[in-house]
Amino acid sequence: MDDVELRRQLERMHAECFGWAMACCGRDSDDAEEILQTVYLKVLDGHAHYDGRSSFRTWMFGVIRRTAASQRRTSWLRGLLLDRDGESVRPEAPSPPDANVESDSRSQTLRNALAQLAARQQQVLQLVFYHDLTVDEAAAVMGTSVGSARTHYARGKARLATLLGDAGDL
Amino acid sequence: MMDDSELRQRFERLRNADRDRVPAFVQTYERARARQPLRVTPRIRPFVIGAAAAVLLVTVWMARARSFSHSETTPAIATWRAPTDVLLDTPGSELLGAMPALGASVLDKMIPTHSMRGT
Repeated sequence: MDDVELRRQLERMHAECFGWAMACCGRDSDDAEEILQTVYLKVLDGHAHYDGRSSFRTWMFGVIRRTAASQRRTSWLRGLLLDRDGESVRPEAPSPPDANVESDSRSQTLRNALAQLAARQQQVLQLVFYHDLTVDEAAAVMGTSVGSARTHYARGKARLATLLGDAGDL
Repeated sequence: MMDDSELRQRFERLRNADRDRVPAFVQTYERARARQPLRVTPRIRPFVIGAAAAVLLVTVWMARARSFSHSETTPAIATWRAPTDVLLDTPGSELLGAMPALGASVLDKMIPTHSMRGT
């Protein structure tokens, strides 16, 4: 895949990759953009090379997941080693426009419910319901076996339904 | 129990809400291109780890070899005597250590002979 084709693929998938990056970093848009920059840099530099064994989207999602995990470890280590007082305070992310308050409220309810799930359950549900992947494809992205992904999917879905029911948002 | 279609609707709304926050592709792409290339440490890291492991192995091997080697001051096992052996040298032990001859008395050994007396 040449650079032009690569750029075209990245541009086509940009919004979807951003959504997945958001899911991988606790829904922080600044972190998600930083992850995407690192991922694009990896792809452009050839550190991440698509070998065609899976679909381009599955491969990109896997790279994003690993990059997010790597950045999470790095920031955790940095927090251990460095004085946290010297860190700059990040400004609050701007709130989305409130054109549809009811829709925002429902999205927030879902975000809160997702945040209470285990990380693997969040990921598999995000991949299946948000990105329309199959559970098998989700397993490939998550780097787990299909059986394990199915277990996370079933338990996560049941727990999410309970949480959303408790929130009175049915 | 909530069915899949309802969950899909909820995730669809979440996706629409997220879409407003997506940065422009050109902005992210150009920022990525403007960033420094990834550090080369991941490439050299295996070599550094290998070299450190080799140094550690050699150090441990040398330390073990030194601890097992016989120094010149170490006595051989045949000539070694326990420090408490002197406690076994009781008075009169030389009388009990030899077989007495017939017709001889143990006191003979204690009485000096003429030749000994002359010296």
